[in-house]
Amino acid sequence: MKILKLPKNKLDFFASVVQQFGEVHAPVEQNGQFAFQPVRRWSEVRLDYNRTILPPKKYFLPPRETLLQYAGDAGYVPVMEGLDKKIVLFGVHACDVYGLNLLDLVFAGAYRDPYYQARRRNAAIIGIECTPDEHCFCRSMRADFVEQGFDLFLFDIGDYYFTLVGTALGDDMVLATGPLFEPVSHQDVEEYKRRSARKREAFRLHVEIRDLPEIFEMEYSSDIWQGLGERCLSCGSCSMVCPTCYCYEVADEVQLGSREGPRARTWDSCLFATHALVAGGENFRKTRPSRVKFRFYHKQRGFVAEYGRPGCVGCGRCIVACPVKIDVVEVLNQLRSVQNVASR
Amino acid sequence: MTGCAGDQLVMLNCEDQLLDVVAALDIRDFLMASSGNDEECPLDVALVEGAVLTRRDEEKLNRVRERAKLLVAVGTCAVWGGVAAMDGGRDGDRARLLAETYGPTGAAYDSTPARALHEVVKVDFNISGCPIEKEQFISALSHLLNGNAPLFPQYPVCTECKMRENNCLLIEKGEVCCGPLTVAGCNARCPALNIACVGCRGPADDANTTSALAMFGEKGIPRDDIVRKLRTFAPMEGPGV
Repeated sequence: MKILKLPKNKLDFFASVVQQFGEVHAPVEQNGQFAFQPVRRWSEVRLDYNRTILPPKKYFLPPRETLLQYAGDAGYVPVMEGLDKKIVLFGVHACDVYGLNLLDLVFAGAYRDPYYQARRRNAAIIGIECTPDEHCFCRSMRADFVEQGFDLFLFDIGDYYFTLVGTALGDDMVLATGPLFEPVSHQDVEEYKRRSARKREAFRLHVEIRDLPEIFEMEYSSDIWQGLGERCLSCGSCSMVCPTCYCYEVADEVQLGSREGPRARTWDSCLFATHALVAGGENFRKTRPSRVKFRFYHKQRGFVAEYGRPGCVGCGRCIVACPVKIDVVEVLNQLRSVQNVASR
Repeated sequence: MTGCAGDQLVMLNCEDQLLDVVAALDIRDFLMASSGNDEECPLDVALVEGAVLTRRDEEKLNRVRERAKLLVAVGTCAVWGGVAAMDGGRDGDRARLLAETYGPTGAAYDSTPARALHEVVKVDFNISGCPIEKEQFISALSHLLNGNAPLFPQYPVCTECKMRENNCLLIEKGEVCCGPLTVAGCNARCPALNIACVGCRGPADDANTTSALAMFGEKGIPRDDIVRKLRTFAPMEGPGV
């Protein structure tokens, strides 16, 4: 992997150069929270953000999208407009890059989703290092550092961004800036390592994920699920903000006075009573406790069985977004009968 | 029935689709839209707005039910009872309320405790909202014309609010936002404008009121205030459709 450094005071110039690779989207402040938005002025970009309300998932699996148009003789016509739009996501945290890598396993693996894949192909990812806050546990989920899934990744080392070049596209961005990037020195490497170690120490939340799927097996009948089910509002917030929640529903709309219309895909959540409702009125997960339990099992056990790692990146969004303070770290540690266990 | 006619207004405000609507439907009896109405003919679909507040309402509703193959409750009043049915509206003591409001002549008024349509007749499906959403109305008509019932979201406003990436008024500002309990379909219009949800669309299918009351309680909001707020648009019993 190519490693370079970018002078911090040239960051705005670099951002202006990467515009030629697509519309630049970056975190901006929104009433005290943050959201990825198209950048109008570089000065409003907040690379010191903690987390965005929605993860970058929204760019690849939008909350609502039209998949196809159906009409009598014309049959089903896929709607592919706009999928080739080039964007650059600037300032993506490692956990969110990891989240996209997990979504790739789902949408670009055995079941290929052309809409997701087209958007993924047309997006460049520039990652940025961050500092964990009181809700971050990405290190426990092995998502505090990513080896892939970005074109460039920037690490603050003082006056420079230590820059990992992840792809040929990333290299093109570097070359497009002319002589802006500089080679790294031994001192830069030492500074990177020093800051990396300091970040590791900064995590306040810890979860041990070794043997967690097995603990889930053992605790299938735990009282924990009943209690969580009684608290959960089924509001769906945790699923919407989750970088790895990918459930959606597909429904046909019909244009007035016709037998044609769009088929649309909308985000869904396994916490909704309708999620496992099937024809005939049968419901596989009728009670709220069974639905809350399912969400935890899918993330921490089912996903591991399918893809070899938990379907959680430790971004803390569900903790922040839950109106009744259901806290995934608390739940996992409660299942283990430990308090904030060290994950080393 | 009795109401503010806001839902009829929404129907007539569907300007871009109105020509399609009149082309697709044979409108027989719609007082706000037409001066020549047939109040006796059989109907394929009856769209009924408002709550049942008088004996006259009740008789009329029964008659509409007899005339119509399908009866659709339109708007929160028709679906849930709405503001007329809020807490005080169904305390049973009509005579006292009438006397307080109209004095000695009160007893002469035709006034009954407010009821949603489903409490009087069989309702085939609901389009909730105060007022209803244009999109849901047009979608319902389109599906009906193809012999289908429309599929509306059953989940709460929070879901649509998050889809829009709004700030959370409940968590960030501690406001009494009814988003977690209120059925979606409005695309979180009010929270998107920084106004807490007042629950005007009525409860979500699976609203966890017990937990929500505890949550508001922990924020130091008196239980009575919450209950009153939650019952502004919908009394305790659901429409069951």
